[in-house]
Amino acid sequence: MMANRLARKDVVIVGLGWTGSILAHELTDEGLDVIAIERGPWRDTATDYPPNYAQDELRYRIRHELFLRPDQMTFTFRNKMDQTALPIRTWGAFMPPNGVGGGGVHWNAETWRFLPSDFILRTHLTERYGASFLPEDMTIQDWGVTYEELKPHYDQFEYLCGTCGTAGNLRGQIQKGGNPFEGPRSRPYPNLAQKQGFGHVL
Amino acid sequence: MLFCRRELLASAAWLAANTALSRASTISSSLPWHPNAGYPPSPTHVGPWLYFTVDEATTVEAIADRIIPPDPQTPGGKDAGCGVYLDRQLAGPYGRSEGHYNSGPFLPGMKNQGQQSQDGFAKQYRGWLAALDKYCSTNHDGKHFAKLADAEKDDLLSGLESGKIQLEGTDGQKFFEQIVQDIQTGFFADPIYGGNRDMVAWKMIGFPGARYNYLDWIDRHNERFPLPPVSMMGRADWSIKSG
Repeated sequence: MMANRLARKDVVIVGLGWTGSILAHELTDEGLDVIAIERGPWRDTATDYPPNYAQDELRYRIRHELFLRPDQMTFTFRNKMDQTALPIRTWGAFMPPNGVGGGGVHWNAETWRFLPSDFILRTHLTERYGASFLPEDMTIQDWGVTYEELKPHYDQFEYLCGTCGTAGNLRGQIQKGGNPFEGPRSRPYPNLAQKQGFGHVL
Repeated sequence: MLFCRRELLASAAWLAANTALSRASTISSSLPWHPNAGYPPSPTHVGPWLYFTVDEATTVEAIADRIIPPDPQTPGGKDAGCGVYLDRQLAGPYGRSEGHYNSGPFLPGMKNQGQQSQDGFAKQYRGWLAALDKYCSTNHDGKHFAKLADAEKDDLLSGLESGKIQLEGTDGQKFFEQIVQDIQTGFFADPIYGGNRDMVAWKMIGFPGARYNYLDWIDRHNERFPLPPVSMMGRADWSIKSG
């Protein structure tokens, strides 16, 4: 069979989830010709997330309709070297995404920023508890990128998503109602905090 | 979507006739789905058993009534339709383990490696129920499971659960675990699937069902939600009554 040679593109993106979509958005804004390849189905909001059956827990939660089907691709699994690895036939602990939207289709929609100390964890713990605090075989390191460097990108992503919340630290000023331990933000969240369910106020 | 399903059905049939399975396929000319096609669930219908024999169904319903016994407020597993639910599930994609990884190697795995059987659930249930029937006829004077007294049924089920009672040629513990899971699923799933008849399970636990959203109720804590449950098919009293 002859290979079907498609028209040449500037960029090919493999996987059209959050990352692929944002990349495609940025690259097309720069005037590049972009094509994205996705292993799963195309999905339309109105018909693939319909308000009259999207609540179906059997179909979506128990039978994993939105996730990758293990017959498309799976992994083998074992806990220890002396065991025999076997295929995962149905998902259990983790569920890879499938289709346009990727994990963004079924994520928990929480976009935490890491704390400034998270980026320099080794330095932070050593400064706080002394050089002998971390065992020798503990391999945690600093990331090599700091909160300050990532801050504008956090901000850009939050404003792209329309993230809701109450800022706890605006340009160094602690704000009432927010997380006082968070890294400083350059401006408030783009949307107001949502109402809190029962579980959140216990 | 339809194309995908048909292709899978065809490959499942092909698998039955061959031991190897080729997954590679070429899709040409159009994509195997249609934009805005949607894929709503299709309601189960009352009628004859689609997968179980009458004897198998009688056993399954009797087990369902021990897993979820009836009480004065709520029907048990049988009258809630759990047997119908499981029958329709086994006759459909679930029974064939459709979408699961169904190729080799097949080895008896550890518990935490999950389901490793070469057979779909439909075939496994057929084996389990035949083995249970055989156990009953040997140890209970030829009586079917459904004819046993409740205490005898419970002893047998507890024996399967603990592994004290072994079924010939099959894993009774696995059977117990699977049927408890399936009966419970049928009891609490939307009535569209054949169990949870008249939303009895949801009424029992006060679950309001497939409502659009609860935005007005998010910050009203510890208040009872006043509306009755609703299924994906709506409610009986929403239908236009004819005549």
